[in-house]
Amino acid sequence: MIPTFLGILVINFVVLRMQGQSLVDVAKSDSRSEGGGAGVERSIRSASKQYENHIDRFRRVGNDRPPLLNFQGFLDKDDILDWLRDTDPRSPLSDSRRNRREKDLWLVGPFAVGPLAEILADDALSVWHGPASQALALCAYATLDPRDFDRLPQDRIARLIGRNEILRNNIIDFRRDAEVGFAITDPDAGAKRQRLIDAVSAADNPEFHPGMAARWSAILFDTGFAVFTGNLFTGNLYSHSQKRYVFDIIGERWSVTVWINLIAVVLAWTGSIPLGIRSARRRGTLEDRVTTNGLFFLWSLPSFFVGALLLHHFCTDGATFTKAPFPNQGLSSQGSLWFGILRYLGDLLWHGFLPMLVLSYASFTALSRYMRANLLEQLNSDYARTAFAKGCTEDRVVYQHCLRNSLITMITLGSGLLGELFSGALIVEMLFSIPGLGLLMLEGAKAYDAPLIMGSTIISVGLLLIGILIADICYAVVDPRVRSRYA
Amino acid sequence: MEKLKIALLGLVAVLLLIQIIDRNREPEQMGELKKSLDRLSAELARGVTVTGPATGSADPGPGTGSRPANGSTTGAHTWPAAVPPRDGNPTIGVNFLLPYDRSWYDPTKVGGTLRSINSSPKSLNPLTDQSATSSDVHGLCSDSLCSRPPYAPEQWREELATSCVIEEDYTVYRFTIRDGIIWQRPTFAGSPGFEWLAADVPLTASDFAFTLDLIMDPAVDCPSIRNYYEDLESWQAIDDRTFEMRWKRKVYNSLSMSMGLQPTPRHVYGRNADGSEIAKDRLGATFNKHWFDERRAVIGVGAYILESFEPEQQMIFVRNPRYWGVADHFERREWKLNIKDPEAELTAFKNGQIQAFGLSPLKYKSEILDGKEKRFAPLDPKDPKAGRKGPFGWERFKAMSFTYLGWNMRRKPFDDRRVRQAMSHCFPKDRIIRDIYFGLGQPVLSDVHPDSQYYDHELKPYAFDPKKARALLAEAGWTDSDGDSLLDREIDGKRETFSFEIKYFANSPEWDNTLGIYRQELRKVGIDMTPKPYEWAELVRIYEDKDFHAVVGGWRMSWDIDYFQLWHSTQIEAQGSSNFCGFANARVDELADKLRTTFETDERIAIVKEIQGIIHEEQPYTFFKSGEGIFIWQNHPVAGEAVEPGRYLRDVAIGLDSFHPLSNRTNWFWHFAR
Repeated sequence: MIPTFLGILVINFVVLRMQGQSLVDVAKSDSRSEGGGAGVERSIRSASKQYENHIDRFRRVGNDRPPLLNFQGFLDKDDILDWLRDTDPRSPLSDSRRNRREKDLWLVGPFAVGPLAEILADDALSVWHGPASQALALCAYATLDPRDFDRLPQDRIARLIGRNEILRNNIIDFRRDAEVGFAITDPDAGAKRQRLIDAVSAADNPEFHPGMAARWSAILFDTGFAVFTGNLFTGNLYSHSQKRYVFDIIGERWSVTVWINLIAVVLAWTGSIPLGIRSARRRGTLEDRVTTNGLFFLWSLPSFFVGALLLHHFCTDGATFTKAPFPNQGLSSQGSLWFGILRYLGDLLWHGFLPMLVLSYASFTALSRYMRANLLEQLNSDYARTAFAKGCTEDRVVYQHCLRNSLITMITLGSGLLGELFSGALIVEMLFSIPGLGLLMLEGAKAYDAPLIMGSTIISVGLLLIGILIADICYAVVDPRVRSRYA
Repeated sequence: MEKLKIALLGLVAVLLLIQIIDRNREPEQMGELKKSLDRLSAELARGVTVTGPATGSADPGPGTGSRPANGSTTGAHTWPAAVPPRDGNPTIGVNFLLPYDRSWYDPTKVGGTLRSINSSPKSLNPLTDQSATSSDVHGLCSDSLCSRPPYAPEQWREELATSCVIEEDYTVYRFTIRDGIIWQRPTFAGSPGFEWLAADVPLTASDFAFTLDLIMDPAVDCPSIRNYYEDLESWQAIDDRTFEMRWKRKVYNSLSMSMGLQPTPRHVYGRNADGSEIAKDRLGATFNKHWFDERRAVIGVGAYILESFEPEQQMIFVRNPRYWGVADHFERREWKLNIKDPEAELTAFKNGQIQAFGLSPLKYKSEILDGKEKRFAPLDPKDPKAGRKGPFGWERFKAMSFTYLGWNMRRKPFDDRRVRQAMSHCFPKDRIIRDIYFGLGQPVLSDVHPDSQYYDHELKPYAFDPKKARALLAEAGWTDSDGDSLLDREIDGKRETFSFEIKYFANSPEWDNTLGIYRQELRKVGIDMTPKPYEWAELVRIYEDKDFHAVVGGWRMSWDIDYFQLWHSTQIEAQGSSNFCGFANARVDELADKLRTTFETDERIAIVKEIQGIIHEEQPYTFFKSGEGIFIWQNHPVAGEAVEPGRYLRDVAIGLDSFHPLSNRTNWFWHFAR
């Protein structure tokens, strides 16, 4: 179970990381809009140039580091120089690739500082001093969290703030030119260069000159995945789109989703098992055929369609009824907190009835058909025939002999339930305006908020695995053969 | 007996469950109780009764009384004639601000709760959260130094500043802050631990300086705002009432950046939760995760106080009884934060749970044009105000945006102006707007909205005229020489047929249809165009790499007209530039540079008009249409239905008629019947 969980964790992480935004995207999208509807209109404004803040956001969630293996510790002067060459306006790369290469270099952080300082110190490479100084300032820039002020010694904080200040003010001005590449336009270039080199010198800044141990351990332990799992297991997963910790948000929202899902599941199972039994016992009769066809008809209706229909006809004033019989939003009325308990439950039921109906009708069909098929199989088996032959009543054969056996498949189906409870019901939540986990996931996806999505999927996955475990135990309960094997 | 046992057991289980659910509500109930107690004690500390009428705001503040209150409830409102030099247009050395207007306000109309939909803000921090909702919140709770009044959004009006004097060739702005403005108190002020917040704090110039201290601190996570203040040299509170901003150079952008500055409460954001001062060097990093934001609180000096905020549920604002100015007529405002689906929005509107909102074009088609909802008055092509008659009112509103088809001027055949002009002549703009956009949108000829004072009405549209297009193409060398009904031309010794791809957004049925029609029209002229849809992220890459012959796009416009980013030749090679069509024109460069340092309105208009003329002639874009939407509101009950108190809005039409068309949704006049 644990290897499966870890495997899913890795896949989940890699998939989301592949779709994640780059520094370029983040800087561009940082305008006064929330996704901007269809994203059709962009506002006329220049992209933000204040990259330090953007880099902060990347560092906080570990998105600045390579996903699974980090070999950046072994970058040397030549590698960085090649990297800088890619960002040259004359390089054969397309504009977007060049732009991305340049920003990726800024994200490398402390490992790139040493080589960049070497480039700056080398007079023969003066063409690159402009972009190198910019990259150096951003790589060496120290992110300070409010917590750091309590954690780190005062003189160190003062030094970091001072160093940030020096780095910021000593970037050598340069311009890009399609003919000559980078051209330095700064009259003060020499002095600035020296100040930058001094600011990151080995004597005061051991973090920029890591030893071999640090480089090797970084391969596995200074990766995006390591940061992510660390945050996950310490509960520090931070969602930058919601500006809060992921588990706090989920903690606030799960109850709503679990409540409607739970009732829907109970409704579906308590309804469909008896229905399946009934139609198995009346196999081939008119009743069986009517229920089967009726259920398949229901099954074929997509839930967003049924939901919209119900919303329009039963929740909208003046559509079918002058006064709508059901509420159109939320799970409780205003002030329901102070209702008496019975009225409170009634109110919940009144609000939840249509959402639960939409959630459960489809699984109703599937479950009852499974039940029917399984029971039929058991009823046709030898032991059932024997039971009939020895004169048992039909009730006795069905409930005493066959039901338990036919439940085995149902348990398999039920193993997914626990995970399902947490996975949200997007369409129902949208239509009936219920702020649950489904909507949370949607928002997270829209904002490319990987920690948020991973946080909630990991919970579902964990619960799914636990569900499978419980199902395995239940097999033993209903099936004596399984029990005897391990007894 | 067996069955009885099971039944009893079941009963006990159900009772137990009920008990558990009931117990579970207790912490929430206690929390709610505590919140209302906090609120109550804060109100008591302030010495104001909780439910008393908001007479405070009816009290005329400084500067009123000079003009009689205009209580007209019908017909268009007339605004006070501006007396020069206070005409709202920037002028050196004098206070040019339009006076603060209180004439529309009528204390007898105050009351009721206005309910609307919004999305849930992630944070309420005034600087680090840049979402639209967050700025809506600060719009209600706070004011800025000066503002753009809805009846004249291209001019400036006094607000927190009673005067603004610009000096030294438009590089120094000196504001006089209005006297007697008091900061709102947070709802939890006075509760244990927060006694230090329960005091009246006056607004002073230092609160504005504090805002800029924060914005300019590189540690504060507001890079996009800081970008705008790049040219700011210094700022200081000269005394409590005087605030000065000094810019490094004369740049037009500095005007709105200076005038639009909102104050940040120094007495809250400059302190820790225990009331102690935050050291200056750690202010920036602390501000990003400030304790005040974690309490989901916001305070300002504005017309409404945020009373409660339940994320994804609702936000409630109440009138600020000590507001210095005149507020809208509503006692309370509620924002529903849980409604996300267009279907659910419409249902909430029809059930009267929200009073006004914007209808999507598709819903406009089904509900109004197809007559699905009888409470909307049907469209009357002769009367643009026909929508005001029904029980649900509806009217079109204009948005500051436009869409276009862009031609890559670096590549053949679009490097030829005549070809681009011909492309514009083949585009049946009016027909497409009518048939595909249901008439929502106004054809545009440039990147200035036709309702702006900067728009050049002399521009002659490129009428739909395939014959003329064919002539222009022939002039450019495109003829059908081989009789395959497609135009062709010799390029570099090879005969090329005129065929190209146009790239556009996937999942946009409107664009699918628009380009479908355009394709047919071009085919008749002898051009083979293939529309090719792309996902948004990919399209952004295409813009950046200039990897297209033709592309569609849209821009949001701003009141501060600037031609640098879109049309300046230095922007062609700039990284991630917006001049991806490769437009370069020496005269436009010169004018765009000049526009950036010109403040006099008349001169600006002349420059903008000249640039529009050049761009119109060059046609780097085939400009398409401006954005438009449908605004709906609760108008009046259906005949025979009883009036539901607090449901139907009055005087919406006055605002629609008397405000500038580009700001017509402002709710100044709205109120409920008493």
